[in-house]
Amino acid sequence: MSNTILSLRDLRKSFGPADIIRGVNLDLQADERHAFIGPNGAGKSTVFHLISGNLTPTSGDIVFDGHRIGGRSPQEINRLGLSRSFQITNIFPKLTVFENLRLAVMRPHGLQYSFWSFIDRNARIREQTERLMEQVRLQGRATTIAGEMSYSEQRSLEIAMTLASDPKVILLDEPMAGMSNEETAYTADLIREVTQGRALLIVEHDMEVVFSISDRISVLVYGEVIATGTPDEIRNNAKVKEAYLGEEVTA
Amino acid sequence: MKTRIVLVGAGVALLLAAPLLLSQGLVNAAIQMLIAALFACAYNLLCGQAGMLSFGHAAYFGVGAFATVHAMNAIGGTGLLPTPLLPLAGAVGGLGIGAIAGWFATQRTGTYFAMITLAIAELLHALAPHLKGLFGGEAGVSAMRMPALGLTFGSSTQVYYLTLVWVLVSIALLYLYTQTPVGRLTLGLRENGHRLRFLGYDVHKLSVLVFAISAMFSGVAGGLQVINNEAANYVLFDPSLSAAVVLNTYIGGVKVFLGPALGAALMTFFGYAISDLTQSWLLYQGILFVLVMMFMPAGLAGMVGTSSTLRKRYGAAALAPAFVLALLAALCLSCGGAFVVEMLQRMFSQDYRALASANAAMPSPPITLFGVAWSPASVITWLVPASLLAIGGAMAYFTRQRLQALDSQHATGAATANQPHVATTRSAA
Amino acid sequence: MDTSIVSLLNGIIYGLLLFMVSAGLTLIFGMMGVLNFAHASFYMLGAYFAYALQGTLGFWGALIVSPILVGLVGVVVERFFLRRVHHHGHAHELLLTFGLSFIIAELVKLFFGNFPVNYRIPKSLDFAAFTIGNSDYPIYRVMMGAVAIAMFVVIYLLLTRTRVGIVVRSAIYKPRMAEALGHNVPMVFMGVFGIGAALAGLAGAVAGAFYTTNPNMAIELGVMVFVVVVVGGLASLGGAMLASLLIGVVTSFAVGIDATLADLFAVMGAREWAEATGGLLTLKVSSLAATIPFALMLLILLVRPTGLFGEKA
Repeated sequence: MSNTILSLRDLRKSFGPADIIRGVNLDLQADERHAFIGPNGAGKSTVFHLISGNLTPTSGDIVFDGHRIGGRSPQEINRLGLSRSFQITNIFPKLTVFENLRLAVMRPHGLQYSFWSFIDRNARIREQTERLMEQVRLQGRATTIAGEMSYSEQRSLEIAMTLASDPKVILLDEPMAGMSNEETAYTADLIREVTQGRALLIVEHDMEVVFSISDRISVLVYGEVIATGTPDEIRNNAKVKEAYLGEEVTA
Repeated sequence: MKTRIVLVGAGVALLLAAPLLLSQGLVNAAIQMLIAALFACAYNLLCGQAGMLSFGHAAYFGVGAFATVHAMNAIGGTGLLPTPLLPLAGAVGGLGIGAIAGWFATQRTGTYFAMITLAIAELLHALAPHLKGLFGGEAGVSAMRMPALGLTFGSSTQVYYLTLVWVLVSIALLYLYTQTPVGRLTLGLRENGHRLRFLGYDVHKLSVLVFAISAMFSGVAGGLQVINNEAANYVLFDPSLSAAVVLNTYIGGVKVFLGPALGAALMTFFGYAISDLTQSWLLYQGILFVLVMMFMPAGLAGMVGTSSTLRKRYGAAALAPAFVLALLAALCLSCGGAFVVEMLQRMFSQDYRALASANAAMPSPPITLFGVAWSPASVITWLVPASLLAIGGAMAYFTRQRLQALDSQHATGAATANQPHVATTRSAA
Repeated sequence: MDTSIVSLLNGIIYGLLLFMVSAGLTLIFGMMGVLNFAHASFYMLGAYFAYALQGTLGFWGALIVSPILVGLVGVVVERFFLRRVHHHGHAHELLLTFGLSFIIAELVKLFFGNFPVNYRIPKSLDFAAFTIGNSDYPIYRVMMGAVAIAMFVVIYLLLTRTRVGIVVRSAIYKPRMAEALGHNVPMVFMGVFGIGAALAGLAGAVAGAFYTTNPNMAIELGVMVFVVVVVGGLASLGGAMLASLLIGVVTSFAVGIDATLADLFAVMGAREWAEATGGLLTLKVSSLAATIPFALMLLILLVRPTGLFGEKA
């Protein structure tokens, strides 16, 4: 039975005469982990921008949970239950790690216009923030200024912020960039754990991670999806091998 | 934390005791200082905390003032709104116009936002003289303080306490605001408004809310001004008022909560104290502002913080010479600069030029400054400030060298402290 | 009809004057990302320098030397002030230029007094260019328009047809790349800033003789320039031109209209009510002329926030 939660139909995006996304079709199931791979410049981040509301599609449909979200504002899309992380770390640099996460946690609790209560007194918010910090192993950095952390720690913060709103669909844009092997392995396990029962669309270049985490993989080349399938199918797909000719596809 | 509470408590106690210790003139000055402090604190909510630079904040101060003066005329004394509660009218006025103006202004960010706020203030400034009913034309609108609660509000002292209560309560509310969810979101707006969108926040609505709250407290300050002066005039919308709050806030320092308030109080006090001695007070303020922006971006309050951090790091003894040097440098530079400005100001004034052109034999008559007569034509006259400035500049340079030396000493000291530790672990292994 | 033509010409020329100043601002913003609050101060300095030099160099001499002096001031501002705070961010630079504009205004008051100065058109230029209906159209106004148009043409040709122009355009668009290619980008910045300042100074030197020269010139024109930039879309020279002309013409026409909103209500038969209500409804459009540009700006913000020619955000 079709359990599609996010579907892209003939999605196109042009910047003036340059066609960047040239008709992308994708169906994301509500509980699948779907990897989005392709050579640099294929347009993977652009697709993320289109889905999350950072860019408006030139044409085509994006349907999320029964709503057409193409061209809607990022906050609307986020409130419908879709959350994303950024390829270029997009945190609150001069605030502490705790503060960063707390800002992400507050909104789902409906506190965005509240100025009649003290946030420090809110135990629920504090506990949830601390739990998130522990999940990404940043509990020791609660009072550290976010902009002063190492790059990989900032990536972990980025992921934690994305998870804060308990979304139905998570979009992760190269979450492991800059991480060591051990950190990558830990984060891969973390991602597998927190996306249980949710839909995940992940862009990653680390093929080991891609093949071990994902239920299905889509390959984007020059703004079009040239193949979609299980890891085995993709590994053996002729078109994919051609697109990656010269690159090592780790088993 | 405790020292902070003690300091604030001491400050409040001092403020409460002020009218008993000061002359009437100084009490009046103190009222102006309090109003300026509140205005700067309200302004800092928008610019220092939310990161939205407004160059037209006088608009909301002015609207609050006019709202209050009309309330005084309409219902002052009838008991509906007793005199002590009149600033509420200012709050309502500021909130209303702030919400409308904020809706427009926050459609854009950064530089555009700044330009729009300036234009809105100018709009009011240009419109006000024509709307005689609302703004009283050239003469403005006046009112009278009505007695209430057994007090006549005739003396400055009573007005002082009224102002003090409102300012303390408002600043306390502004502080408590920073502890609320919206208060934290305000910081988020400054740090990364873009990301807030993707976390589900309606950034525009949030910005309008913050703008309106800042305008509301600015309106309270305006209302207090009117209660003190018993008059409001469209001059309140003048760009110089908007400029003043920007200068005060940044000179005080935006990173510390009370920084802008202290900066405003200090500047207002100097303006009051020195304006008899010099006509160029605004020029000095501008120069101070530019110096702060270039060399001490954290402002005066930030400097206090930095020096205490340095004292903890290097110890008072090591820091003392640099501190004294810095103080002397500041003194020399100020004296030298003031000398030049005052001389120039007198040389180019109309009276002096008339005097000089009247007497062909004496083309540059002497100017009396600091009790001594200096001739503008003589070299010595200019040598004095030049050397003061040079000495001051050299001292500033040496201060910086000293601080850098302390810093590198400290770094190597930390490195040597680590070495024995490494040796022991190695020997242990 | 005649008054309409005169109003139109006046409006166009005022618009061209606005453009002279906002063009420099647009270029500098496009290149450095910083809004130079002191740009209108350069306009004021141009007028004052010309006034001060008029005695020794004559009107035309002053007109040539004054912009050069202002250009030098601009170079000093960029090299010794802006460059130092560049790493603190745009808001910081904006505040610094704000402080500098404040200081420049105070210095002008110190040296020249806090009142308008007598900077006048020389007698040799005080005649009519042509006659429209029964009013003479002063040659000086035409000259102002001619200077603005000449300036626009020169900038356009410089930017598009010369090597220097190409380097400048690339530095505006992608400063790091231009630097990587070996161009002295800091020098380019300094040069463009200086030239932008000189142009504003030229506008001031020319316009100061016709309109008044007083210490408030900078803020009065400065606000208009900001409105132009918001309405036209920053970083767009075409937008600046269109917005300047629009504001110039609308303001000029408005000054001549003595009608009020009450007259409009009269069409619906509600004149008495409108006049009794007073306030905004009985204000003559001519009195409101100064506020119309601001209303236009607010309208643009409502309808098309990025400006007429701005990119869709």
